[in-house]
Amino acid sequence: MSLEPKRKEEGEIAAKPPLHPVAKRTVTVAVAGNPNAGKSTLINAIAGSRLHVGNWPGVTVEKKEAVFSFEGQTIRLVDLPGTYSLSPYTQEEIIARDYLVRERPDLVINVVDATNLERNLYLTVQILELGLPVVMALNIYDEAQAKGYKIDVAGIERMLGVVVVPTTATKNRGTKELLEATLRTAADPGAHRPQRLNYGSDIEAAIAGLAAGLQEKYPQTAENYPLRWLACKLMENDAEVAREVRIDPAELANEPLAHLRGAHDEDVESLMADTRYGLAAGLTREVLHKPELRKTEMTEKIDRIVLNRFLGIPVFLAAMWLVFKLTFDLSTPFVDWLDALFGGPLKLWTAALLGVLHAPVWTVSLVNDGIVSGVGFVLEFVPVIFAMMFFLTLLEGSGYMARAAFVMDRAMHAIGLHGKSFIPMLLGFGCNVPAIYATRTLETPRDKTLTALLIPLMSCGARLPVYALFVGVFFASHAGTVIWSLYVLGIILAIVMGLIFKKTLFRGETPVFIMELPPYRLPSFKSLCLHTWEKGKHFLVKAGTFILAFSIVMWFLINLPWGVHNQADSYLGKTGRVIAPIVEPLGFGNWQAASSLLSGLMAKEIVVGTMGEIYAPHGNAAHDQAPPPSFGSQLKGIGSSFVGAVRQAVANVTSTFGIASLSLGGMAGSSSLTTAVRHNFTPLAAFAFMVFVLIYPPCIPAALAIAQELGSWKWFGISFFYQIVLAWGMAFIVYQGGRLLGLGG
Amino acid sequence: MHIADILWMAFFLGIAVYLLYRSFWKKKGGCHGCNGNCTKR
Repeated sequence: MSLEPKRKEEGEIAAKPPLHPVAKRTVTVAVAGNPNAGKSTLINAIAGSRLHVGNWPGVTVEKKEAVFSFEGQTIRLVDLPGTYSLSPYTQEEIIARDYLVRERPDLVINVVDATNLERNLYLTVQILELGLPVVMALNIYDEAQAKGYKIDVAGIERMLGVVVVPTTATKNRGTKELLEATLRTAADPGAHRPQRLNYGSDIEAAIAGLAAGLQEKYPQTAENYPLRWLACKLMENDAEVAREVRIDPAELANEPLAHLRGAHDEDVESLMADTRYGLAAGLTREVLHKPELRKTEMTEKIDRIVLNRFLGIPVFLAAMWLVFKLTFDLSTPFVDWLDALFGGPLKLWTAALLGVLHAPVWTVSLVNDGIVSGVGFVLEFVPVIFAMMFFLTLLEGSGYMARAAFVMDRAMHAIGLHGKSFIPMLLGFGCNVPAIYATRTLETPRDKTLTALLIPLMSCGARLPVYALFVGVFFASHAGTVIWSLYVLGIILAIVMGLIFKKTLFRGETPVFIMELPPYRLPSFKSLCLHTWEKGKHFLVKAGTFILAFSIVMWFLINLPWGVHNQADSYLGKTGRVIAPIVEPLGFGNWQAASSLLSGLMAKEIVVGTMGEIYAPHGNAAHDQAPPPSFGSQLKGIGSSFVGAVRQAVANVTSTFGIASLSLGGMAGSSSLTTAVRHNFTPLAAFAFMVFVLIYPPCIPAALAIAQELGSWKWFGISFFYQIVLAWGMAFIVYQGGRLLGLGG
Repeated sequence: MHIADILWMAFFLGIAVYLLYRSFWKKKGGCHGCNGNCTKR
């Protein structure tokens, strides 16, 4: 990774007026901070919908960026990955450091968690080494005050030479003041240079010696990089920096450095780290006054229960169950509403439109039975996906997910991993693809590979439409519990497969890792909605592109050879009939189920889409019916049924903890698909089908992500093979076992 | 099958092929790892 800095044009700083920035120029602001310091919330509060989310070049670490205007000045906000330091140990740290050194932003907003000052100041000390103007956002300030912390803000400003603005991003407090301070600092960076912190006489002498040597032997390099920072890095034998600047630190050996090495038992890198920690600790002692702790803090009280050795896992399972129950309570009325919309007015409108265009009769079938049924059945379950993402985001934002990883640590150790690996696996509940990419945050290739192999067993959002359909038909009165059992089955199978892999492919010791437990906090509704949207929107994009395309292809496969009367004789039917005997022992040996599963290898939602197409009532149904109501009355009906759905959702959620049992009976209840599913499956076969869908390879993008992330098609092959075999085996056990137990056939 | 049928068929299959092409071979924005900056394409 290149660290070659971008040189500032000479005179750029001098050209700025003293009190207000030049209106034409864009002020580039990097936002740096620890994970869980509220950085994302702060950026969302400042930039909101103007945020552009992408990736850092060449890697899969998310990059958020926003360009907006404040008081007539254009500001470009660049969100750096959350890091605890700027040491080159993780990809996030390298990206953050690389950006600050290479791009030289106009200033840095350092987001500091006011409730965890000491740890956050360690990063601050490192940022100050770069010599860039810094504005500190003392975030989560309300919690610090609620805890009785007294922070000497002026003291921090005085000691560090930075402007400090207390903020509470969750309530959008202090953000305006932060932006004002940012503009003031950017307008006159010369007056806002941070203090040079004193690292002690021995280290300072060594830094000075190295800096002098650099200026003498490498004047160009010394000019291009922050000199003090470069000297520190070369002292620490930072291999990446040495490689980039092509300087052997041994060439710059000097007497003070030799003294430093000789006089201390530690290596210089450890010594520097100790010094920085010492400064952070000392500064904290100076500026922070904590009240005497007479009562146990709320976080500790909650942790006593949720991290309890015996209660931890049951609490986690209960939390997940509640998530599923609330998800379906909230989303079911909207699913019904969308079902009515796609099944009724939309089909009538498309038929009318095609009639106006004088399109052939078969195009009505293609659009209605293919596209509207295929994409529509997927879109109907978008409320379920968004509701699920909302509640998972709530658990994440509240700090509970970190606890879930912690309580799973023991189980993870059993399979040769640690709790940190459970975090990408939890991400897999949303979508397996980013979860597989998230494994690169793990320390060792062994952890990364093993975790990536297990992630597909985490039930992603794309599988929800399949569960929702079958549960709605067969298990409506216990929907939450049945779906919860599938998720739990996925976790249990991940543990079992992890054990098998540990004994076979991944022998060795489990590494030790310390996990951070952020304090509990209530995320703001706006932040929850933004994160939910970020997680869920790709399902909408996928429905509008990939699934739409595949629905068209599937319609042709169902209707070719041209003029085929019996769907079983179509190309899809013939393929399905070949596969059907393989899944016959699993209870769903019909060609419709077999070909749906085959198409589901592209993406899991397509299983439902394909079924929707296969079971759609063929013929020009819209024309066969009685004259449709007028356009106006249809729109009125859609509006009033939506209001009814909202009322029903509110009633469902408010009665969650008491009276109403979960009902999915109405979910797609009137459609031909549910009738066909009821006709072609038994409850036992339906459960076996859902188990198969849970376990067999999630989708082509996830399989490609495994190959790409692990850099080998071998792992792709292993992953694909074990999932197919396991899916067949588990569905067989469920179906045949169920029959033996007399649960029906 | 008439010429109109063939034209309509080409229209729908064209849409499908284009969307698949965009989804797989010409990803924009959501590309994992490059965000449109990849020089290898």
